Amino acid sequence: MRNLLRFIVRHNFIIIFIFLEILAFILLIQSNKFHRAKYVNFTYSIAGGFSKAFVNIKEYVSLREENRKLIEENNKLYNLLKSSYRTTTFNAVPANDTTYKRIYLYIDAKVINNSTNKQYNYITLNKGRNHGIEPDMAVVSDKGIVGIVKDVTNNYASILSLLNRKFKVNGKIKRNDYFGPLSWIGKGHTKAILTDIPHHVEILVGDTIVTSGYSAIFPEGYMIGIASSFKLKGGNYYEIKVDLATDFKNLSNVQVVKNLFREEQIELEKSAEK
Amino acid sequence: MIKVLPRNIARFIILITAQIIIFNNIEFSGYINPYIYVLFLLLLPFETPKWTLLISAFLLGLSVDLFSETLGMHTAATVFMAFLRPYVLEIFSPRDGYESGTFPRVAYYGVSWFTKYAFVLILAHHLLLFYIEIFRIGGFFSTFLRVLLSVIFTLGFIVISQFFIYRR
Repeated sequence: MRNLLRFIVRHNFIIIFIFLEILAFILLIQSNKFHRAKYVNFTYSIAGGFSKAFVNIKEYVSLREENRKLIEENNKLYNLLKSSYRTTTFNAVPANDTTYKRIYLYIDAKVINNSTNKQYNYITLNKGRNHGIEPDMAVVSDKGIVGIVKDVTNNYASILSLLNRKFKVNGKIKRNDYFGPLSWIGKGHTKAILTDIPHHVEILVGDTIVTSGYSAIFPEGYMIGIASSFKLKGGNYYEIKVDLATDFKNLSNVQVVKNLFREEQIELEKSAEK
Repeated sequence: MIKVLPRNIARFIILITAQIIIFNNIEFSGYINPYIYVLFLLLLPFETPKWTLLISAFLLGLSVDLFSETLGMHTAATVFMAFLRPYVLEIFSPRDGYESGTFPRVAYYGVSWFTKYAFVLILAHHLLLFYIEIFRIGGFFSTFLRVLLSVIFTLGFIVISQFFIYRR
């Protein structure tokens, strides 16, 4: 201690000098924006190199801890997952946006009954009128279209499946926009037929068939399937066999699509027909 | 010996006032700024304790900084200059040392001695000041030119002032 004091006294000139210089530079950096920016850049570039190496080591050492944290977090997220809950109310509220007008509202639902082996197949969903589902709304899965809502009760909805002789939807070839009615062939669960495509249209095996959106039920451009073969029927119209994109054998989560402008469109079309 | 302290305080105030009001507004071709306030440090008595030297340099620089909105720049430069002063005095000392009762002025030790002494210290001050001002290595030589020209002007003002304010 005494040695330290003696050292300070002996070199007081240099120590005071260094102290005052440091003070001056602190003032400089504190009060001048340009100098502070320069200083910060400089120190970052030096500190950056050090901390990079340091962080690399630290990361490796703490892997075990990180893994434990990730597992915990995964657990937490699993518990938050939708599949861990059962919905009891309709909670999808249309957003009130003044620049965009929402056209389609999606309501997720779960398939609780399904058949594929009859001529008139129906699907039952676990949501109904209470959740905002009404007749004539479209039902789609993440792969493609599924059907149309036929009847609803308060908590359940009955869907006219695509695999139903009564089902018809307007489909179009995505590549050139030629459209025609599409319906099930009546057997199996993978094929449908798109008819009324004029004979001059060039069709390729593998063409994507999507919804046309004309009926105001399905959103335009929603996937139906892929053309697998085609032939001329009666010399004027093509009949295209379509491989359905939706797999009706393992349907579980579907979306019910509500077209918020459907009534307006229907009304207009009716008054035009009069 | 006339009272040294009040005289130095008066000089401190006069020099800073002159620097702020007159010399800060002089800008020859946007290149050259004379900083004559360093004259205060040059004229401090030989016997000034070293810590007093540093502290007064700090206050001098800080005062100029406060009025020219460059906090820290002049302070760093003047403190550095005060730090060098004892060593410069040692280098330029006459063979038998400085006589007591004299001051580092033209009147006592002649123009050439004073010019050499002032030149080294002013150069050190200006170098630090200008390089702190730009705060980077790029443009090294153009800054160096500014330093040299400013040193010449500051030195000229200071040496000439010694003939006008001639007092023993």
